[in-house]
Amino acid sequence: MKAAATLNWRSTGERLSRWAIVLVLAALYLLAVALSDAFLEPVYLGNILRQAAPVGIAAIGTTLVMILGCVDLSIGAIISFAAVFCAVLMAGEADNVPLAVGATLVVSTAMGAVNGLLVVFNRSSSFILTLGSALAIYGLTQIFSGGTARGIVAPGFREFFNHRIGDVIPVLALAMLALAAVLETAMRTTRLGRQIYLIGSNVDAARLAGVPVAAVTFVCYAVSGLFAGLGGIAVLARSGVSSTFTGRGFEFDALAAIVLGGTVFSGGRGTIIGTVAGTLVLFMAFNLVNILGFNYNLQLVLKGAIIILASAAYARLGGDR
Amino acid sequence: MDAAGGWAGRFVHPVGIFGLCGAAAVLAAWLVPGFATANNIANVVTQSSALGLVAIGQTFVIVAGLIDLSVGQLLGLSVVLTCALTAGRSGWLIPVALAMVAMGAGVGAAHSWFVNRLRVDSLILTFGTLSVLQGVIFAYTDRSVGRVPPELAWVANERVAGVPIAGLVLLGFALIAHVALTRTRFGVRLFATGGDAESARRAGVGVHGVRLLAFVWSGIGATLGGLLVAGRLGTGYPNAGQGFELDAIVAVVLGGASLAGGRGSIAGTVGAALLLGVISNVLNLLEVSAFVQTFAKGLIVVGAIVLTHARSKPPAATGSRATAPASGRSTLSSRP
Repeated sequence: MKAAATLNWRSTGERLSRWAIVLVLAALYLLAVALSDAFLEPVYLGNILRQAAPVGIAAIGTTLVMILGCVDLSIGAIISFAAVFCAVLMAGEADNVPLAVGATLVVSTAMGAVNGLLVVFNRSSSFILTLGSALAIYGLTQIFSGGTARGIVAPGFREFFNHRIGDVIPVLALAMLALAAVLETAMRTTRLGRQIYLIGSNVDAARLAGVPVAAVTFVCYAVSGLFAGLGGIAVLARSGVSSTFTGRGFEFDALAAIVLGGTVFSGGRGTIIGTVAGTLVLFMAFNLVNILGFNYNLQLVLKGAIIILASAAYARLGGDR
Repeated sequence: MDAAGGWAGRFVHPVGIFGLCGAAAVLAAWLVPGFATANNIANVVTQSSALGLVAIGQTFVIVAGLIDLSVGQLLGLSVVLTCALTAGRSGWLIPVALAMVAMGAGVGAAHSWFVNRLRVDSLILTFGTLSVLQGVIFAYTDRSVGRVPPELAWVANERVAGVPIAGLVLLGFALIAHVALTRTRFGVRLFATGGDAESARRAGVGVHGVRLLAFVWSGIGATLGGLLVAGRLGTGYPNAGQGFELDAIVAVVLGGASLAGGRGSIAGTVGAALLLGVISNVLNLLEVSAFVQTFAKGLIVVGAIVLTHARSKPPAATGSRATAPASGRSTLSSRP
């Protein structure tokens, strides 16, 4: 009796926690509108989406790794590397763009794949392994760039991504939403998607059921690397500047967005849509702080408070075991 | 989880890390001119002691199966506050130092409340406090403030009969921590909690109290480290703590601890902190550029973890875990 009631409560809690972030996003938006008229303007909303794009794109890739029950702390480093590498290969020529983008994506996927190999073939935690590889990749980026901003963005590259379709939504924001839609569909409809959830829920059961755990893990890390590379290109497209530490700290912003979106550290639960919503909550909160005239320090405090409160709320709703 | 391996690991591994540290030192003495002087060795110890203090505190948290990412910014806050509050006045040093340690203990206690009562994952919780503390530091000041009293600078930089005082501080703290970890009831309960919190709870261990003490150790280690860093810098630099959390975690893991909890030793942690000090000292002496140093450090971290952890954990041992991660416990475990 009691067990059944608990179970019932838990499933309600789970359903609630799955959509909680969307409710939070809606509530935050209403609060923002109440505090400032700017949030009613479509152009400003487009701006927020564009701002969120680099972190958002990287975060949706890493969500796969998190659903597996692992973490990837190297994405900030890969974002930085991708931005510098891509800018250097472009060298200010429009003709070089396809090559530069292609090569950047190949290299960042390869970096993710190396992470995958490390995690598969080593039994220590993915946290410390990807932390180490992040250091190595930052070092590589610094060696490659000589420690300064290097490389010149091709003409037309920034203009293309910042162009507003219908004068409202920037291409970059649309790219984030499209990538998220593709990945969400893949997670829901493909066998690989189901295998990722299964491994995250119970790795031993998955292994006994014949799921190729090592191969799936490897693929997830490669995808995480690929999306970090895309995030790096997005940074370049947004700002046009490629410095060594472009992506520093992005891994934690992405982590925060993912957890806000309802993915739990123990794995097995989480959605791409949730991650996108989590990213938007984070960036809308930053914008709100800015528009109210508070400084960057308060943004940091607010970010921390949001992260702590959100994960506490999820734990309460039965989102965590 | 692997109790036998855990116990063996606790005694075998420190030897391994000191062996590695010793081998690195011998190799450096042989190949690198200027390394094997008493002066340089004392420098390495002086430079490593703040990290050592932070890493010792972190060891308790990691053995408990948790993690504390806030230690870097907590260290930074104590650097800024120590310098700002004492403003070079010797008479204020003791009260301010005590206040800093109390602050560390308080932050630790707050962490344990969130983990115990609200069941927040420690990784995301302490990342949140990292952000909050950073915001607090920069809201207080965005440039260096205050001045450190001469006594603290003396402790952090000087030597007595050739022995660095900071090293003695580290040794003292390490001895107390070692006794707490291996010779007290708290230590036994800490390992039990980290090994399997649910089993420990059923066996009558007050898991909440254990986690509280673990986080308090971590907070105190960070603020003590902050006092040493303040003494070395001489002024309250707001960015002083940046990156300390990651170096501390690397030191603890290199020292033989498992991020899944239930394993780790103070000797191993201190050995690993010294090893990191030797590596960066050698790279400096060889005049390797800072960029290549970052790269090398990353490779060394990954390489060392691949080497040490492939050995201590047989690949066949998959059972037991994954089915029932106990409540409130961090899931930084080994996967898959």
